[in-house]
Order: sequence, then structure tokens, then C-alpha cells
Amino acid sequence: MQPRQARSAWRGFVGIVSIAFIAAACGNTGAASPTAGVASEPPSATATPVITDTPPDQVTGSLSVLDWPGYDDPNFWIDFKNTYKNVNVSFEFGSTDAEIYGHMKGGSQADIFHPYTGWLQFYVDEGMAAEIDTSKLKNWDKVPDSFKKIGQINGKQYFVPWDWGFSSILYRTDKIPNVDSWNVLMDPQYRGHLSMWDDGPGAVTVSAYIHGYDETNITADQLAAIKAEWTAQAPLNKTYWSAPADLESLMNSGEVWAGYAWQGSFAVTKGAGTPVAYANPKEGRNSWIGVYGIRKDSPNYDLALKFLDAKLGLLTGQNLVNLYYYGTTNQDVMNGLSDPAQAAAYGGADTQALLKNTFSIDDPTILQHTNFTPNLTADQRDAWTAMWTEVKASQ
Amino acid sequence: MTAAADRLDPGAGRSSDPRRGTFFLLSIPAVVGLALFLILPILFMVALSFRADLNGTLLAPFDPTLKQYDKLFATGSYWNLLGISTLIAFGVATIATLLAYPLAYFLAFRAGTRAGLYLILLLVPFWTSYLLRVMAWKLMLGEAGVINSVLLATGLIQHPLEALLYNRFSVVVTLVYVWIPFAMLPILAAMGRIDTRLHEAAADLYASPWQQLRRITLPLSLPGVIAAFFMVFIPTVGEYVTPLLVGGTGGTMYGNIVQAFFVQAANWPLGAALSVIMLLATLVLVIIGIRIVQPRRLLGQ
Repeated sequence: MQPRQARSAWRGFVGIVSIAFIAAACGNTGAASPTAGVASEPPSATATPVITDTPPDQVTGSLSVLDWPGYDDPNFWIDFKNTYKNVNVSFEFGSTDAEIYGHMKGGSQADIFHPYTGWLQFYVDEGMAAEIDTSKLKNWDKVPDSFKKIGQINGKQYFVPWDWGFSSILYRTDKIPNVDSWNVLMDPQYRGHLSMWDDGPGAVTVSAYIHGYDETNITADQLAAIKAEWTAQAPLNKTYWSAPADLESLMNSGEVWAGYAWQGSFAVTKGAGTPVAYANPKEGRNSWIGVYGIRKDSPNYDLALKFLDAKLGLLTGQNLVNLYYYGTTNQDVMNGLSDPAQAAAYGGADTQALLKNTFSIDDPTILQHTNFTPNLTADQRDAWTAMWTEVKASQ
Repeated sequence: MTAAADRLDPGAGRSSDPRRGTFFLLSIPAVVGLALFLILPILFMVALSFRADLNGTLLAPFDPTLKQYDKLFATGSYWNLLGISTLIAFGVATIATLLAYPLAYFLAFRAGTRAGLYLILLLVPFWTSYLLRVMAWKLMLGEAGVINSVLLATGLIQHPLEALLYNRFSVVVTLVYVWIPFAMLPILAAMGRIDTRLHEAAADLYASPWQQLRRITLPLSLPGVIAAFFMVFIPTVGEYVTPLLVGGTGGTMYGNIVQAFFVQAANWPLGAALSVIMLLATLVLVIIGIRIVQPRRLLGQ
């Protein structure tokens, strides 16, 4: 470990050099991003840093990322990979929010982790997340304020929002003509042809939407009613799903007619030719946002910040939209979906249209009738997951 | 048997046996391995079950509390599920052992010189991934699966059978399939020890093959059958992967609840308490089972 003064000097060098390089890279792609106040020459294809220091492709080191399976695909951190060629990035995996939380709790040495809205409060309260220095994020101004707020806990920025999407009902239009309410999941006439997501907090939010409960303040009586409701609903399912691919294959084969789904499943099943639609229930869709955090006391804080900054990059965002059909918080990427001139970046005009449809970009009022997942307290998490486990045990 | 060994080596097993030191040293790696990777984790899990919550680091000292056990005893559905899981395990063990017996009999007495080849053929599918084998049953039992396609094509049914998959039936079928070769091995070992001259002697005394089976093979292979039964029963009580994949909402087993608390709910203390209960329940059932069956009597000691 270098002494303190040498470390701050090092940070300063690397910070300025990386800003210069990222500014140069942004200048090349033509995105309208102002160089962030660094007095270097204007960006050009052969920009050289004013201050001579280690260029990004000579920065060495290693980063460990705790992420969901599939996100180790280099396409999802391609901007970092292309800029910092000599940094070694390794991945640990967790396939549910609880698993990721368990990993961090159990002393994982990962520098970066990827939780989703609902599960953010505990990391801050239990001292596992480091504050994000947003002044070092070159792409921070591409993120809309509403998303930035999602990553703020107790008034401070602890997380960088990255991916987002909807949860709603995916249904086959040839079996069910129209779905306009979350209630369809409880409908006995579709017995054996429904599929609910295997998640307690997810079940509680669906019930809260249907009955108009306040999600942030579910009373014990309400929880008991929710438990009874889902215990009665359980036999109506073909099966619960825990990975989107499970639901997609059941939908494509026609065994499931309606299911709780993320919008990625809509794009995948529609792309497979199945006659499906993604509901706009009268109670409103749900929306979730995935964020990245840096582990407190991680020795690679600065490198982790660069990784997160690169995550907000254009190519990474486009890959996320094209490959996973998830939204990204980089507004340039989302705006590009409406720009016919950029159709090639999104796989052609047809796919671009499908993606626009998936994200309801043409509906200006979509955000008004979307319910965002609030953050759980530890008690709510325990009570709601225990409720769901009891539902499953009563069958 | 110990009497016979005594005649060959009077010093065997006595405290003056100079080989005891060697035996002790040789057993140390296994004992250390078991202690570190079996006993210690189980003790840690038991300790975890007395913890109120996961606040603080994993190895931090805490005030023991019975809060998790209170919660367990207050929830009737978990005990119900434990009972159902035990019944499923009992059923799977019985069926697997019954189906494995003829296989073992064939390999031990009828296969002759080809026994090794047949054994390999039987075991080869089980060198593939467990998950692949379970997924294969999804293909067999699904609405668009092999069984339904055949029945529809031959016109025996008009609509696909929906009750084949995603329920307790599919869990039992898949588990039996997975366990048959494992159940077969102890039975095969026990049958291999039977002296075939006993069968010849019985034939000389005009015993039919059925009588030979009933009076010679069956009693002498019974210890293997018991071993097979328990070998299938004990792990199946806590099974969770197969119910997760083919059980749907109605085929949940106790292991799924434990897994749910560890993986979906991040409530490790409650999951640990559930695991301890299952461990104790299985131990009690096995002790009762051994008392009933009395293998020592069967082994002639």
C-alpha cells in the first residue's frame, strides 16, 4: 500500500488522464457531451493527454464484480473493456437479490455489486456500501434526475442506476383477448394456465396494487389477507417461475396463458412469433431499477468508479437494450430508439420498433401510471418472504 | 466373524496390537476432513439457528435466542410439509428399492460373464449431469412432451394430459428414476456374497426357483435391501432440486422451504432452524427404522 500522499497524487493523475481519455472517446462517437471542465485540447481521434501519466490501456489492477448470471458477458461492460485493456475483471454470481445480499453479508471481497430497487436500504444501513463520488463519473449527466434519485439513500448517492424495466402481465392474445388488471392472476377460469414470479415481495406488491394498499405500510391484517389470497391462487398456476427463460418457454408452448413478467420476456416471446401482448393494467405497471454499488472499504474504489462510469457508456447501454431488452439509464441510448437514423444500432427498423413498443416509449404518460418499487426495511423483507414461504408450504 | 479372525491373528483388535498406531495415523486425514467439512459446518448451522437475525458479521458473537424455533412451532404448514416430504421420501425409497431388486438379481445370478458390461450400461446415464436427467423428464412429461405426443398421435387421448408434470407425481417419478441405480448397488453387493451352492443344494432338494428366491436369496440379501432403502430415504427427505424443477406449486418439499429462506429471503437463522429440525427428524426416523428391522439379527450376530 502506498503512503497517503502518494495515493492522492496517484488518484489525481489517473483521474485527470481518464477524464481526458473518456472525453476524447465521447467526442469520437459524436454524442453531445461537454468535456467536463478539464483544460485539455479539444477531443480528436488522436487526443493525447496534457498531463503525462499512465494511459488507461496501461492501467493494471483487478476488479471483482458480484453480479447476476449472464452479466459477465463482456458486451455488458464493453466500454470499460475497450478502454482499460489490462485490468483484470472477475465475476462472482448471485441469482436473487437475497443471494447477493447474503454474499455481501458473508464477507464477499467483491468491489462492485448489483442489487435492485427494494433491496437497497440494508446495504447502507449495515455499512456495506461506499458513497459514490459522482464528480468522477463522466457519464453522470446522461442519467435523468429521477433515476439518480433512486440511487440516493439517506440523502447521499450510494448507487449508480444502470438497468431498468417494467413488471406487468404478459399474456397470449389468442387465449385471453384482453388483460386490463393484475387481477387476472387470481382468476380461477384460467386454472393451470397462469404463472407467477416466485418472489414474496413481488406477490405483496401485486396484492397492494389490486387492493390499493400502501406498499410502504402493509399492516399485519393486510399481510394475512395477502397470504390467504396467494394460498388460494397457488393451485391456479402451472408453476412458479424464477428465471425469465422458464416463463418464456411455457408461454411459447402455450401451456401458460398469462404470467407476471419483465418486459424482456415480452420482447423474447414476441420475437419468437408467439401472439403476445404486454398489459397496461388499470392499477399501473411496476417498474424496477438495477443499480451498482461499491463495497465499503474496497481497495479499488477509483478503478471501481471508472468501471461504473464505463457501464454508463453508450455501447454498453446499446448492448443491454439489444441483447436483454432491458432499459438503460443512459438517456442517449433510450432516445436513440426513437431516431430512425440510428436504426442500425438497434438491429434494424423492425427491432427498433419492437423495442420502442416494449419500453412504451411512444406513450408519454407511461411514467404517471407506473408504480416504482420502494425500498424494503429489514422487517418487511423478513415478514414478506416468510409469508411467501408459508404460502408455498401450505400446498 | 471376529471369532474366525481371532484364530488367524490373536492380537487383532487388542490394545496391545502394534498395528493400532498405524491404523490411528491412517485414519487421521479422514477424521480431520470429516470434522472440518461435516461436523464443524453442522455445529455452525446449529449455532446459527439460535441467532435472532443477521445483523453484524457472520462470525460475530450474539445472544442466543429461541425466536426462530418459536416461529417454527407457530407455523403449522412447515410441520405438515415435513410430514409430506417424509412420506414422499418413504414412497420413493420403497419403489426404488422394489424396482432395483430385480435388476440386482439379474446382474448377480443371470448375467454371467456379461455382468460387468450390463452394469456399465446401467450406470453410464448417471455419469451425465443430474440437472440434465431431471430436465429430460420435463421433456417426457410436459404437455408437448414425448408421452403426450405419443398418446395424441395414436388417438388414445384427445387433449394432452396436464396432470403429468408440475405436481407430486412428477417429483416421485423423477426421484425414483434418479435413485434406482444407487439403490441397486448395495443389493447387488449383498447378493454377490450369497454362496450359489446354496441354490444348487436347494434345487437338489426339489425347491422351485420361486422357493429358492423366497427362502434363500431374499433373506440373505435383506441387509442390502435395508441399506438401499435408507440410502435413498435419508437424502430424499431434504430434496429440493427436483421439486424446484418439476414440482410446480403442488410438489413443494421441505428442502424447498429451507432453500427459500437461505436464497430468497436472506433469513439464514430461520433456514438453519428448519435444517436442524429436519436433521433431528431424519435421525429419529432412522433410529426407529433400525430398531424395527434389526440388521444384526439378519446378519446372524
